[in-house]
Amino acid sequence: MVTKKLTTLAPDHIDVPKHEIMTRKEAEEVLEKYHCKATDLPLIFVTDPAIIGIGVKPGDMIKITRKSATAGESFYYRYVVEV
Amino acid sequence: MSIQTVKAIDGIKFCVWSPNEIRKYSVAEITAPETYDEDGMAVQGGLMDGRLGTLEPGQKCLTCGNTSARCPGHFGHVELAEPVLHIAFIDNIHKLLNATCRSCSRLKVPQEVLDEFSKFKKYSASFTVISRKRIPEQIFEKAKKSKECPHCGKIQNELIFTKPTIFIEKTKLGENRLLPITIRERFSQIIDDDLRLLNYNIDTARPEWFILQALPVPPVTVRPSIILESGIRSEDDLTHKMVDIIRVNQRLKESKEAGTPPLIVQDLVDLLQYHCTTYFDNEVSGIPQAHHRSGRPLKTLTQRLKGKEGRFRGSLSGKRVDFSSRTVISPDPNLDLGEVGVPVQIATKLTIPEIVTEWNIEKLKKLVVNGPNTFPGVNYIVRPDGVKIRLDFVEDPSIIADSLEIGYLVERHLSDGDIVLFNRQPSLHQMSIMDHHVRVLPGKTFRLHPSVCPPYNADFDGDEMNLHVPQSEEARAEAMLLMRVQEQLISPRFGGPIIGGLRDFITGVYLLTKDDTTLTKQEFSNYAMLGGYDEKLPEPKINSKNGLLYTGKQLFSLFLPSDFNFVMTSKWSRGTNGKQKDVVIKNGELVSGVIDKTGIGAEEPESILHRIAKDYGNEKANKFLNSVLIIIKQFITDYGFSYGYSDLELSEKDRQAIDDDLQQTYKTVAEIIADKNKGTLKGLRGMTIAETAEAKITYELAKARDRAGITANSNLADDNAGKIMATTGARGSALNVGQMAGALGQQSRRGKRLHTGYGNRTLPHFKEHDDNPDSHGFVKSNFRDGLSVLEFFFHAMGGREGLVDTAVRTQQSGYMQRRLINAFEHIRLEYDGTVRDPHGHIIQFLYGEDGIDVAKSDHGEAFNINRLIESESIIDSGSKATKDEINSISKKYTKVFNPKLTSMVNDGLHNSKLSKQGLENVCKKGLELYDKSKVEPGQAVGIVTAQSIGEPGTQMTLRTFHTAGIAEKNVTLGLPRIIELVDARKKPSTPSMDIYLDKDSKSSKEEKKEKAIQIAREILQTTVADLLIRQAETDYQTKITLSIDNNRLKIRGCSLDDIMSALETNKKFELERDNNTITLQLVAESDAPTVVALRNKVLKTTVKGVPDIERLTLKEENGDWLIQTTGSNLAKVISVKGVDKNNVRTNNVFEISTVLGIEAARTSLINELKSTLENQGLEVDVRYLMLVADLMCHKGYLQQIGRHGIAGSKDSVLARAAFEITVPTIANAAKLGEIEELKGITENVIVGSLIPIGSGTVDIFMKSNTKK
Repeated sequence: MVTKKLTTLAPDHIDVPKHEIMTRKEAEEVLEKYHCKATDLPLIFVTDPAIIGIGVKPGDMIKITRKSATAGESFYYRYVVEV
Repeated sequence: MSIQTVKAIDGIKFCVWSPNEIRKYSVAEITAPETYDEDGMAVQGGLMDGRLGTLEPGQKCLTCGNTSARCPGHFGHVELAEPVLHIAFIDNIHKLLNATCRSCSRLKVPQEVLDEFSKFKKYSASFTVISRKRIPEQIFEKAKKSKECPHCGKIQNELIFTKPTIFIEKTKLGENRLLPITIRERFSQIIDDDLRLLNYNIDTARPEWFILQALPVPPVTVRPSIILESGIRSEDDLTHKMVDIIRVNQRLKESKEAGTPPLIVQDLVDLLQYHCTTYFDNEVSGIPQAHHRSGRPLKTLTQRLKGKEGRFRGSLSGKRVDFSSRTVISPDPNLDLGEVGVPVQIATKLTIPEIVTEWNIEKLKKLVVNGPNTFPGVNYIVRPDGVKIRLDFVEDPSIIADSLEIGYLVERHLSDGDIVLFNRQPSLHQMSIMDHHVRVLPGKTFRLHPSVCPPYNADFDGDEMNLHVPQSEEARAEAMLLMRVQEQLISPRFGGPIIGGLRDFITGVYLLTKDDTTLTKQEFSNYAMLGGYDEKLPEPKINSKNGLLYTGKQLFSLFLPSDFNFVMTSKWSRGTNGKQKDVVIKNGELVSGVIDKTGIGAEEPESILHRIAKDYGNEKANKFLNSVLIIIKQFITDYGFSYGYSDLELSEKDRQAIDDDLQQTYKTVAEIIADKNKGTLKGLRGMTIAETAEAKITYELAKARDRAGITANSNLADDNAGKIMATTGARGSALNVGQMAGALGQQSRRGKRLHTGYGNRTLPHFKEHDDNPDSHGFVKSNFRDGLSVLEFFFHAMGGREGLVDTAVRTQQSGYMQRRLINAFEHIRLEYDGTVRDPHGHIIQFLYGEDGIDVAKSDHGEAFNINRLIESESIIDSGSKATKDEINSISKKYTKVFNPKLTSMVNDGLHNSKLSKQGLENVCKKGLELYDKSKVEPGQAVGIVTAQSIGEPGTQMTLRTFHTAGIAEKNVTLGLPRIIELVDARKKPSTPSMDIYLDKDSKSSKEEKKEKAIQIAREILQTTVADLLIRQAETDYQTKITLSIDNNRLKIRGCSLDDIMSALETNKKFELERDNNTITLQLVAESDAPTVVALRNKVLKTTVKGVPDIERLTLKEENGDWLIQTTGSNLAKVISVKGVDKNNVRTNNVFEISTVLGIEAARTSLINELKSTLENQGLEVDVRYLMLVADLMCHKGYLQQIGRHGIAGSKDSVLARAAFEITVPTIANAAKLGEIEELKGITENVIVGSLIPIGSGTVDIFMKSNTKK
């Protein structure tokens, strides 16, 4: 199902958008804005190669800045979960 | 009408019945295997016991006293003489037996571990949503391994499970059969806490209930008996099976009481188990099916539920309807686009309920007088007291007509102008069901306008279509607003028109608008009137010696909006190498150019039709199209247009030229073959000599065919009908003309020339090994002259492949569509702009990342700024705005826009020559359009997505390889690739990588190439097999000898030491090296198969390079080198030195998700889908691809679109059961005690309530008055 590899090979690969850990406040604002629980957000595993290097722990929220074909740039949020 | 209390189903809970419950619900114990006695009366305690419900209308139920209409039926039960395993839970029984102690029935996992798990389960944080689900799996795994119970210390026996129902324990004393009774005993001792850890819901499913002690007997209403014409009663399959069970059960009981030997009793128990198993499921593998007397396998419980015709898919998800009809369709260009011609016969059968009011009473009275058989009439009248009068039985309807009063309900015949839904299967997209207006016509077929064929994908070769009549005002209103043909002009798949002119309409509009078409005043007026033009006639443009004449362009212009300005290049102009932007429309006047497919054609974005629909609305576009099409139809009818044999006539000279050219080609081919045989042919990279020759021959022959086509085409006059049709896009292509007049060309199978058939020849008419192109399916004749017998045969060979292809493709794409719809049906747009499933899980934060509805967009964009500027510039006056002014305006209006739209608007404004006021107007209009094109809450974005990807599936090729050009890399394309992608396969069928190298600006061209080759050597996998001179030799006992080729070592850049070190790790043999031979001395002598296996393993050992990279080619791109590979191994390639690790691409999406993460996988999924669709020439908006990718990735890992992915992980039990694996899904739901919340789509269809999507999303919320 998921990789157990704990190294990240190419965090700057052109297909990998920017992943950032959100502060508690930012996270709460997003949850408030979308009026939802954290588990309702799309998920991402702690072991995901794109976030291994940035010191995340389960329960964090990740803000992803995607390049978008329709909007130029768009934001996506994922909730970090255990494998 | 009686008032009935309507109750809404809130939820459905799934449970396992305990024996006690079975007995509690039972109204009768069934003991007698007989159903009826000699008098035909139901036997008391038999399977047709009167207490189980009623079948005959007059009969009263002995339990509830109701008649058959109202009695729901009641369960009985059979007390089983010996317990029996329930086949649906057999896997659970197996797992539990494996995991629990045989003595104390505790889970064979230490208490501490269990405690930890339960603590984890109880107090775990929300970030364990995924890991929590794996607890049972982990426990089972741990418990299965332990040989000794950590709780009581008892040694555990090995369990052998013989499918389907036998469990055997291996003890020291021998094998010991575990009887259901023992299993039941063990299970009843399992403690609640242990079960909870395994996710058992102990209130609804104790594991001992998986062993049946009492068997419920379904009510007779579930298994009605039918009386055949001969008067013989025929029982239902279930009754037959029940009889078997009861009979064996009785026998077992008796033998047990009589003290029969245990062996015989055991046989009877097994027989009972068999009957009970087949009663639940008659398709269990490992046991014979139960058959009916006639030899037909019995349809028992599982078979009733399962599959396409089963209860879920056949009766619950798909329901039969009233007020519908079906007949053959035929074309009628005299109708409006939005009309449907309905035969009188059908119109008199389908009715519309109309309440009598003051205003319609006179009209309805007249209808009633007509009665049910004269059109327009009335079939039924319903009085306010609920009495329904059927006019068929009324002798004189006029008496009834006189009694008609206000408030009566009249069910009148369908008549002109009524709203109906028209549909053609397969309903692949929303345009497959549209709202039409009725036009009652004589005849027996449904009539429709030829131009609405593309959305239905209909033709008139015998197609049938269905028609449904909405019965309520709400339904009609909804149909009118959402489903009218004119509302469906723009396809949501790509945001362009899907309805438009086609075939002869295109030819006609070309003939009408070409430069030399003139019309007399009378003709002009007639056409104008036909098109519904009711304004002042324009002045004729031409003053010839025959008097004043109108041009065809003038006639066309009549129907253009008067402020319409447009420039485009017609297909005609492109086809005839005419000028660019030849079509000029200025202020609603066609100034120059001809109109053809690009102007008013179907599926042509950025056409005149599309512009009118976008700029003036669907209503105007519909009117325009209707008017134009009807005058074109009349015009081409009057003008005359036909195509025939004489249109393909070529001069003797041209025919000679074609013949000569073919002769020349045959010579060239012969030379290639001669070269090949002599060995002077140089192989192309990656191909053998034979392959190279084949490729070259194919290429030569294809060119020859093209040349013949060109010669034929270029010698046809410009007014040749075939040429007109091909160049305007009405029908056919230059290729078709070439095949008819020039040469038909090479026939192929599987993309290759024809080679096989008889030994070394294609047909017995040829010599063996004949090299002549004629013998390999090259057809030099054309359709006009006719094919020779052999050519005809070859053509049929190729033709059959096409037929098989289509048949296979429809099946595959149909199944893909079903899976897509199932995965996406419940995805909806919420009020906050997010895309979610019905449980609130967010899939996208903003639909399509910009919140624009493709159906309301302008070819995928919110609005077309350049178009706005263009139309504004005509009325604009004043000096050009300054830069500052532009900046401030753009700042003011682009606040709500996303970055891409903002920059598009900025660019547009800066490049325009508009005044400040003009810009202001443009921006205002843009903002308005932007707001209008946003998606609306409740929108079924999921379904539209699934349809937009599934529908084009039927149009894709099935052919896996494309061999365009020589030495292209082989990649799966078309439908198989799309299926592979949505399947989220671990490994695609043709993995491939694009490897870019580190940027290097200093090196010279040669150095760069040298470097690229060096890196390529590092990447290409070299196995032992690649380095051998000949096959590895072995004596099949003790040794394997490898002879290494020095030359190959050099090419691959490895050494003998590399081989030695690669093989060293294997401890099964010792290496001996002698010059260029390596001998593997086996440690232990073995038999041939082991040695062969070992040899194969050795041969596959990687000596150098990256495993899985089988082949590669170097390609120059803008001065830099790019390595393209066959085979993919992202993780390893990234780490190779000299490779640009940030720009290594693979087509293996799963690999990307493991190496680069889920977001990268999403990006590449979109890219792969996009390039595959583009390659097929299909236009699908990216927003749909994004939603597919986001849905597949929203759980943090790649989920398949299918039973193991999204459809399988739905929250709803019914939705999962309705998709696939019906019965195990329900059994599992019962084990877990799941509750069906009825939030999704399928579930609500199944229970028959309104679906919560689209207009069904909206609900009225009221604060109910809680207790006073």
